[in-house]
Order: sequence, then structure tokens, then C-alpha cells
Amino acid sequence: MGTSSARNQGRPERAPTARGRLIADKTARWAVTAGGLAIIASILGILVFILVEVAPLAGGAEVERQREWSWDEPLPGAFLVDEHRSSVAFLRDDAHLTVVSTDDGRIIEEIPLLDLEHDGDLLPLQSAKGVPGRQILYATTADQRVLAVRVDWTVTFDGARRVVKADPDRAIVFDFGVDQSKIDLAAVRIDPDGEAVAAATTEDGRLVWVRRLVEEALFSGETTESWIRNGRPLTRAIKAIAIDEQLENIYGASMDGALGWWRVRNDQAEDPQWVRSGDPITRLSMLIGDRSLVVGRFSGALEVWFPVRRDDEPERLTRIRQFPALAGPIREIVPSMRNKGFVAATEEGNIGLYYSTSGRLLWAGESDLPASKMFMTPKANAVFVSDGSRMIEFAIDNPHPEVSLKALFGKVWYESYPEPAHVWQSSGGTDDFEPKLSMVPLMIGTLKGTVYSLLLAIPLGVFGAMYTSQFLHPSYKRIVKPTVEVMAALPSVVLGFLAGLWLAPRIEQILPGLILMFLLVPISAVAVGFAWRSLPMSFRGRFLPGAETVLYIAAVSLALWCAIRLNTPFEMLLFGGNAQEWLLEATGLQYDQRNAIVVGLAMGFAVIPIIFSIAEDAFSNVPNNLISGSLALGANRWQTVTRVVLPSASPGIFSAIVIGFGRAVGETMIVLMATGNTPILDWSPFNGFRTLSANIAVEIPEAPLGGTLYRALFLAAVMLFVFTFVINTVAELVRQRLRRRYAEM
Amino acid sequence: MSIRPKHRKGDPLGDGLTALCGGALALNLVLVFALLWVLLVNAAGHFWQKELILFERIDAPPLLGEVHDREPIPAQSDSGVSPGDRVRIRVGNRELSGGDFVWLDLTTVTRESRPDDGVLLERLEWGNFYGTMVELRRGEEVLATGPDRVWSAFQAIHLEKQREFEALHRFEKGQIGDVNYRLERIHSAQRKLEFEQPDPETLGRRSEELDRRKETAEVEFEALTRQLFAMREEFVAETLVMEAADGTRKEMAVGEVVRAVQPNRIGTFSTLSLYASRIKEFLFDAPRESNTEGGIFPAIFGTVMMVFIMSFAVAPFGVLAALYLREYARQGFLVRVLRIAVNNLAGVPSIVFGMFGLGFLVYLIGGSIDQLFYPEVLPRPTFGTGGILWASLTLALLTVPVVIVATEEGLAAVPRIVREGSLALGATKFETTWRVVVPAAAPGILTGLILAMARAAGEVAPLMIVGMVKLAPSLPIDSHFPFFHLERKFMHLGFHIYDLGFQSPNVEATKPLVFATAFLLIAVVTVMNLLAIAVRNHLVNKYATSAV
Repeated sequence: MGTSSARNQGRPERAPTARGRLIADKTARWAVTAGGLAIIASILGILVFILVEVAPLAGGAEVERQREWSWDEPLPGAFLVDEHRSSVAFLRDDAHLTVVSTDDGRIIEEIPLLDLEHDGDLLPLQSAKGVPGRQILYATTADQRVLAVRVDWTVTFDGARRVVKADPDRAIVFDFGVDQSKIDLAAVRIDPDGEAVAAATTEDGRLVWVRRLVEEALFSGETTESWIRNGRPLTRAIKAIAIDEQLENIYGASMDGALGWWRVRNDQAEDPQWVRSGDPITRLSMLIGDRSLVVGRFSGALEVWFPVRRDDEPERLTRIRQFPALAGPIREIVPSMRNKGFVAATEEGNIGLYYSTSGRLLWAGESDLPASKMFMTPKANAVFVSDGSRMIEFAIDNPHPEVSLKALFGKVWYESYPEPAHVWQSSGGTDDFEPKLSMVPLMIGTLKGTVYSLLLAIPLGVFGAMYTSQFLHPSYKRIVKPTVEVMAALPSVVLGFLAGLWLAPRIEQILPGLILMFLLVPISAVAVGFAWRSLPMSFRGRFLPGAETVLYIAAVSLALWCAIRLNTPFEMLLFGGNAQEWLLEATGLQYDQRNAIVVGLAMGFAVIPIIFSIAEDAFSNVPNNLISGSLALGANRWQTVTRVVLPSASPGIFSAIVIGFGRAVGETMIVLMATGNTPILDWSPFNGFRTLSANIAVEIPEAPLGGTLYRALFLAAVMLFVFTFVINTVAELVRQRLRRRYAEM
Repeated sequence: MSIRPKHRKGDPLGDGLTALCGGALALNLVLVFALLWVLLVNAAGHFWQKELILFERIDAPPLLGEVHDREPIPAQSDSGVSPGDRVRIRVGNRELSGGDFVWLDLTTVTRESRPDDGVLLERLEWGNFYGTMVELRRGEEVLATGPDRVWSAFQAIHLEKQREFEALHRFEKGQIGDVNYRLERIHSAQRKLEFEQPDPETLGRRSEELDRRKETAEVEFEALTRQLFAMREEFVAETLVMEAADGTRKEMAVGEVVRAVQPNRIGTFSTLSLYASRIKEFLFDAPRESNTEGGIFPAIFGTVMMVFIMSFAVAPFGVLAALYLREYARQGFLVRVLRIAVNNLAGVPSIVFGMFGLGFLVYLIGGSIDQLFYPEVLPRPTFGTGGILWASLTLALLTVPVVIVATEEGLAAVPRIVREGSLALGATKFETTWRVVVPAAAPGILTGLILAMARAAGEVAPLMIVGMVKLAPSLPIDSHFPFFHLERKFMHLGFHIYDLGFQSPNVEATKPLVFATAFLLIAVVTVMNLLAIAVRNHLVNKYATSAV
């Protein structure tokens, strides 16, 4: 009617919409669009933020050439720098320490190290050197001894200005007892308490060493020093030498590239172990911790070696890893005092910054100072290079040297390990601890927990869902489904608590009973099934289909109870009374109370409702006409279920399993509470493991903001995020396709 | 001849497998009920008063306590026969015996009895005491001797002491707390003044004023402290001498006793009322003895408050995003992708959100707030550390997909004709959405919100990172301005479970309390879930009848 009258009388008056309302409408549209997009963007921004936190791990070191100084009157070679980079101390050949300010390059102090009236015959000193990675300088004296001094720095404040002063200890003079022959090479270490060791080679082919022992008198505080001196003839000429702090190991490199290792026990050197290793070696240096030996060669190659014990054989000096080479013969290797990093320089002035554990060359560059000495500051944040007349400062920003793809995911040969391994051990008790950041044990742990829980959850979830949807009357289904789904709402902390404190001790006691359960539960179910079937139809017909579930419940409960009661006799029968002992003897598997079985049960319990719910939907959504058709063609119920319903619902079941998988991967509290959280690489069901998520929970409180561990944990978060996101997307797409297919039917 | 239905040929394999499926379903159900049963029994049993039993032994002093477990002694090597049973007894008296529980081999017991005058004391410190009353004294003066006379005299004094305890508590929290707070404020004002470094004149004036205020506050504080000491002295004036089963005597202040029971004398009614009073203590009191005794009120409070703050954040944002996706965005490939992405966020592990909360909210946002507004207390963080606000916001992020998905479902369920009707009557799109569609979708929104709250209440992993502590000194709400202290740390039921069960020094003794806490948490979460279902059903019905 409207149409005809409109056609006749023109368009009806349309009440104009009030301006205010239109503006409100427009505003609302903008607000909702902007707000909605912003919210969604910010949710997705989570991933971006996490990635940003991880990104610096991939970066190398940034090294910047900063200050430069030059002196008209050249200063001798060996020098030290304090940790604030405010002063440089040179060891002069008249046994004075010359301290230079880095502000203007002027000499601010001259400190005599010796009482010259007394020790005049030591001068002049020759070939002064610094001990790599230490605040120690040493030089050979005129009478073929070695003078060494350890320099401390005192910091005082003049108002807000920091004043750093060199405070050298009393110089130590090592007498090797080699008056006749000249000292070739020497290596020196000094403890803070004054104990000191030195080793040297002599021109007449001997390896000599000296140990200085200091004893402090109990009351007077006076110290008395004593010396232990020893030596042995060398069979080869040595080109480079390195010792450790306790003088337990002396390493030397021969002219022809062989690497020698003398073990010193009670100041007696054992026969050396010589390893033929290739090119001529020009330089040796110990990394912090005194375990790894860095070898620099004439060809510019750099390697790390350390003694390795395999099985019961004696330790052998072994090449662990090679680094990208520098161009030209290696002249200096300076270890960091902070971590397992080091700086190497060639004769021509090429410099490389390396890190041992990750095998990385973090930075390579050059100074235009060939044949120069080098010093790395105690905070490992700068390298000073000097040839005596000029000095250059390279500032290092090197936040995450210990990380590389290989360190995170590959096998790494850590110090004191017999072979390369995947290890997660982020922190240790000492400063020279080598962080081990392999994600692999955590990934394997995650997978292990997931697999064991799915072993329980998939059969129970899928078959339970199949039975619910295909064999239960809808009125029962309405009770059963929500009951199982209530499980999904159980906070995982409760499941974890039950698993860790209630279930774990009980499982430990009824381990054989658990095996019995696996046998008795299915048997009882089948028995009840056949018993029900054998009842006359007239009796069965009185109940709705699915009423027999009550019988199943009774049978299963009975079976569980029986399994627990029969535990002790069964254990006697099969395992001689103690299943755990039997396990250890027969298979060598150690039984931990909190193990993968416990986690499997608890996490399976958490995953069952998810799989059940989605799978049940998938089964129930199979169009009825398919089922009716199959039944009409003469197939029985079970044939219909397996040949028609199951194949057509299989994508839905797939996504149910996949979503359950995703949930198990990310579950934190259950694994945190029900395993021992030991990051081991092992598939045994009887011991624990550590997952990526539990690892985050365990370690994040100790991870300082912005540190390597902090970022490594963010990397674990990224892995979890991406993995679950991909998995869920796949499942979602599969489900959507399935829904469309059903809609077409 | 009767006609019987013809059966097809049997299919034993199919029947067997069907039975297995039935068994799988049955096992699922059995597991659910077993779990709930374990929790319920352990939780409910915790508050129930057991009998006190006195075990006299062959060659050791007798033991008095509650029997908690009974099990056969593991068989010796090859005989396979258990030599007898053993029981686990809670003997308390931690300061005398060192532990709460002992295992007792029943074969060594000569006599079991239930002494009428056996007394259980729950105390503020050292846990339970089991023994008999010997003497009640006030200083040197003996008020009563002998179990029965002491018991009756004790009742009156104990009632009085409990009142005093309340008064003490109020005094400490109230007046002394206020002065403390004032002192704290003055102190932080002084630091701020130092930090700002204004011109010398203002500095002198203001610091003088602060000093003056500090002085008055300190004088007041001292007076109050003296008063407190007097009250404390009075509180512990009366002492009770107890004798343990092995004859050791122990004197303790009556005020220290929280509750005294003669378990073997009380009747059913008293047992029930004792039960109720213990549940009340559990729900409404603060924890004692590093969380191993007393109640869990701060944890309940913290959880509820966190969930509410979260709801305030999650509801508007979730609804806005859903409105955009369903009502305003042009439906196409992009929106489908967004929808799947949002959907899948619900499956991303919660610990990942925790990491985000820590990195972004706590360190970045919180750190910046500290730099801007609280520079005087740095490096001590105010907002730059975990707190209830950050925890709530982290959970809001975690649960916003739930709300979005549920709201979208609700919006999608509103029939087209309703919208078209509204538009045809001249309403703008905004008016249609706001007045017609959103109210109609309310059940969906509400369901989503309740589900989000339930999830948030049970989530622990992200909170471990962004703000919970095992024992928060004060609630996030108090009488001091600005009343809500969003930067404060808080206690949480779920974390309480983790902490008690795995970090507690005395796991055996706390286990029942953990069960009770776990049961409470499950009850809260389940009720919320059921509520969500009920709300949905109710509102769907209402809407279905009114609109269509």
C-alpha cells in the first residue's frame, strides 16, 4: 500500500534526523572502529613486544673507537687500565709505575716499585708484559729473574668527582735459579693474598717454575714468605706458555705447532702430553675459570682447547672449537675478566672480539697500531691498544655474547664436559661459571610432558566423546557433557597440587597396581559390555540407550579398587616385592617420585575435557542423514560409527587433539608442581623434566632486566606463543572447513 | 508362538570396542568424581575434631594425639606378611618434640585410652599443644590447680583474653598504624624535599615544618607504644601450666591460646559448632605462623579484588572490540583473519602473558611512572615492581579474547529483523546498536565476563611473575588516602596453594589447609562457571520470548 501511495503523491515526508543524533552516530562509528582496532592491535602487539625483547640476542657486539692519546716520549709496552677507564699504569724499565690520566694523557704519578738502594742490580727491566686478564705486570730483570707487581686501584670521591689512584702491592721477584741462562718466556699469576706462581722457559731448554707461599703469623700479622722451586728439561723448544692460578697445569706450544701439557702435582711435573695440532702457534692464553686454553696461530687461526676425560681414560687435551680466523699471525690474546670472551690481535693490528661458548666472532676491526700491546678493562667494556707512543681506546657494548643459534639449539661442548651436549643451566655459584643456555632439554621436556599426557587424554577424550555422542540418549548427554566439561574449569594449580602432593606419593607405592589398572579397567569394561548385551532385549528395552553407563562406572570403579588392593601381591609376584628396585636392576631406570607418569595423569586430566568437548561437538555435528542412511543400509551401530561417523568427523577430532596438544604444551603450574623441574634430556617415564613454561616460572625471578637470561626466557615465551598460535590456527581452519562441508550437505 | 525380534548376526568385535568406549567415558566420570571426592574429604576433614588418644608404649613415654593415618607396615624382605599396622599421629607440641607428626608402630603399644581431661590448645605460636591442664596462675599467684578446676577457671579468663586480643589488634592496626603511616608520609616528604632541592629559604622553612611534624608524631608514637606494651603485659599476665603426655611441663600465656578443646568430652553439637567456628576462622581470619595456620582471608580478598579490577578493564574493551568486529567492520577476509587471531589468543599459554606483563607493564610502564612521579624513592620501585594493578591488567589481556568471543556470539545471535526493525523506525546505527542490539546480546556479554572472571580466579602462572607474594603485610584497601593502593603486592588463593604446598617449611602440617584452600578455589571457580551457564540460559529464554 505504501508503494502505490508513494508513487501517486511523491515521496512521503521523511522526518529529518536530528543533527545531534547524526553526529552521535558518526562519532560512535569512529570511536568503535578506532577503539576496536586499537584493542585488537594491542592484543596482537603482545607478540611484537616479546619479539622486541628477544631481538637484541641476535645482535653482535658494538665496538666504537673512542679516545686516542699520543706521547712525544714513548712509554714502554706493558700497561693496565682501571675499571673506570680513568687511569693507565705503565711498567717502566727503571721499576717505576707511571700512571697516566685518560682525561688529557698527562702523567699524574710515578710510583717506585723497588727500594733501589737495595735492589739496584735488578735494573734495567726488560720485555715488560701484562698478564692477560689480570691487573698484573711483569718483566725480566737484568739478573734473569722476573719481577711482577699486582696493581690495585683505590677510588675516593672529591665531592662528586671520582679520584682513582694506583695502589700497587709490593713487587714480587721470582728467582728461578737460572743464573747462567737467559729467561725466554714467562707466565705469572698472583693471588690477592700474595700467593704467587710463575713459570718460565730458559734458553738452555728447561721449563722452570716457582711458587711463593705466604703465611701470616696469627697475632703479629707479620707475613713470612717461602718459595718452592722446580724444573725439568724440555724436549722441544717452546714458543708460547700459559699457566693456571694454582700452577696445576702448564701449557706450552712448540715451534712446529705441537701443544704440550704438563700437569704439576705437588710441584712435580708429570710427563708432558704432546698433541700435534697443525700450524705454528704464536700465543696461548687461559680464559676465566682457568679451564679453557685459547690457542692463537701464525696463520691467524684461533682455537679453544681443554682437557677432556672420556670414560675411564686419562684426560686428554682436546681441540674443542675453532673460531673465524684473523688475517695475520696472532700476537696477543686477552681474556675477559667477566665471561668466557676474549680479544685477539694480529701483528698487523687486526682485532677480533670472540666468545668461547657460543663460538662467535662478535666483532672484527683494526687499529692502525701494528705490533702493539693490548688491555681489556675489568668490566670488559673497553680494549686499550698501545704501541708506546700512541694509545687507542675501543669501547665495547657486548650485551649477549653467550648466545648464538648453535648455543641455543645445537650441541655445545662446555668446559668439563666429556662431549658436546644440550644443557640448560643458566646460573652457577661462581663468577667464572659458564652459562649453558640450550633450549633443547626444555623443548624435549615440553614434548615429553605433552606426549605422556596425550597418551592418557586422547583415548579417554576421543572414545568417551564418541560414546557420549553416539550411544547415549540425549537426556543423559545433557548431564554427562557438562560434568566432564567442569574438569576444564579446574584451576591447574589445584591439579598440580594434587599431582605433586597427593598423587605422586601414592603412585610411588602402587606402581605395579598402575599396570594392573591398565589391564583390569578395559577387561572389566568389556566384560560389562558383553554381560549387558547378553541380557534379554525385553529387560534392556526398559531403559533409555546409554543407561548401561552406570554399570560401566561401577565396573571401572571396581577395577580400580581391585588394582589397588592387588598391588602388593602383584608386586610380590612380578617384581620381588619392590618394583622400584626391580626397575633399577632390570632396566637401570631411576625412579623419581615426581615423574612423567604423574604429570601425564594430571595434565592428561586437564586436557581430557578439551579434547572431549571439541570431539563430542565434531561427532554430534555429523549430519543425521548420513547415520540414518548407513543404518538403513543394514550396517549395525558400531559399523556406522566406525565407517561413517568417524571418518566424517575426523577433521574435528584432529583439531580437538591439536588444541589439546597446544594446551598441554603451554601448561605451567602442573608441570611446575608435579615434576622435579630438572632439565634433563631423557624420555624415561620414571623421572622428571622441565618444560619451557615451567622454566620461565622458575628462572624469571632471578633474571635481571635486560640480561641474557631475561631475553632467553622471552625467547622461550616467543616459542610457546608462536607454536600454540600456529597449532590453534591450523585447528581452527580445519574446523571451519568441516563446518562448511557439513553446511553443504 | 510368540514373535521375537530378529537379531542381526552378532558382532563381537564391535560390541567389545563399544564397551571400551563406554569404559573410557565411565573412567572420565570416575576420575572427575574421584578428584572432587579427594578434595572434599581432605578439605572437610581438616576442620573436624578427632578424638584424642593416649598410646602407652612398652619402652617409651606415652603419646597423646589425633590419629591421622593408618596403614600396614611394609612387609619385611621375603615373608610377604606385614608385621602389623602403624598409625600417623599428630602429637603437636612442636617446641618440645620438634615435629607435629610421628609414626607409631602399633605392635609396641600396650594400651590405648581416651583420656577425658585431654586438652587440645590451638596457639598463636608453635602450633597445637596436646596435654592436660595442671595449673592456672597469675604471676606468682596460683588461681586453680587440677585439670577440672583449671578448665572451668580457664574458660572465663580465656574469653576475657580474646576480647583483649581483639582490642590489641585494633589498637595496633588503628591508632599505631595511623601514626606509623603519618611518619612514613613525613619521611617520604623529606626525601622528596631533598630530591627537589628548592631555594634555600623554602627548603629551610619546609624542612623545619616537617621536622616539627615528625617530632609530634614521634612523641605520639612513643606514648602509644608505651600503652601497647602495657596492654601486652596485661595480655600475657595469666599463664597456664600444661603437662604433655610424657610428663614434660610447659607454661604458656593464656592469651597465646586461640582455642582450647577437650575433644573427648564434647558432644556432637559442640563438635559441630567447633567445626563451624573453624570454618569461620579459615574464611575470615588472617594467616598465622607463616601461613601454616589461621585463615586465608587476605588471599580471598586479594583474589576478589584482582578479579574485579580485571573486570573493569576487560568488560568495556572486550565489548568494544567485539562490536567493531561484528557490527561495524566490513565482513571480509581481513576480519576473518582478525577473528581467528583473537580466538587463538585464548589458547596462548598464560605464562606468555605473564612475561608480557612483566616486560611491558611492570618494567616499561611501571618503570616510567616511577621515573615521572616517584623519583624521590628510587631505586626502590613503587609501580615498577609487581603489584595488584599489573596483575589485574595482565589477566585482563589474558581473558579479553574470552569476552570478545562470547560477546560476538551474543551479537551474532541477535536476529537481523530486530536490527532492521529498529533502523526502519528511524534509529541511527549507533542507537540501534546501543539500545537494541547490545541489550539483546547482554547474556553473551555477561557469560563472557563471568567466564573471564572464573579463568582469572584460577590462573596462577602469570601472577607468579607480576605481583603476588606469599604474605602481604597489608591489604590493597585501607583507611589511608587514596584508599586503593594499586601498587601493593597481594595474596592470591591459587598462589597460596602453590606456596603452602611447595615452599612451606612444614608441608605435612599444612597439607590439610592446602586442601581446604584448593577446595574453596574450585568451589568459587565452579560456581562462577555454573552461574555463567545459568545466566546464559535464563537470559536467552527471556530474550527469546520477548523479542521474537
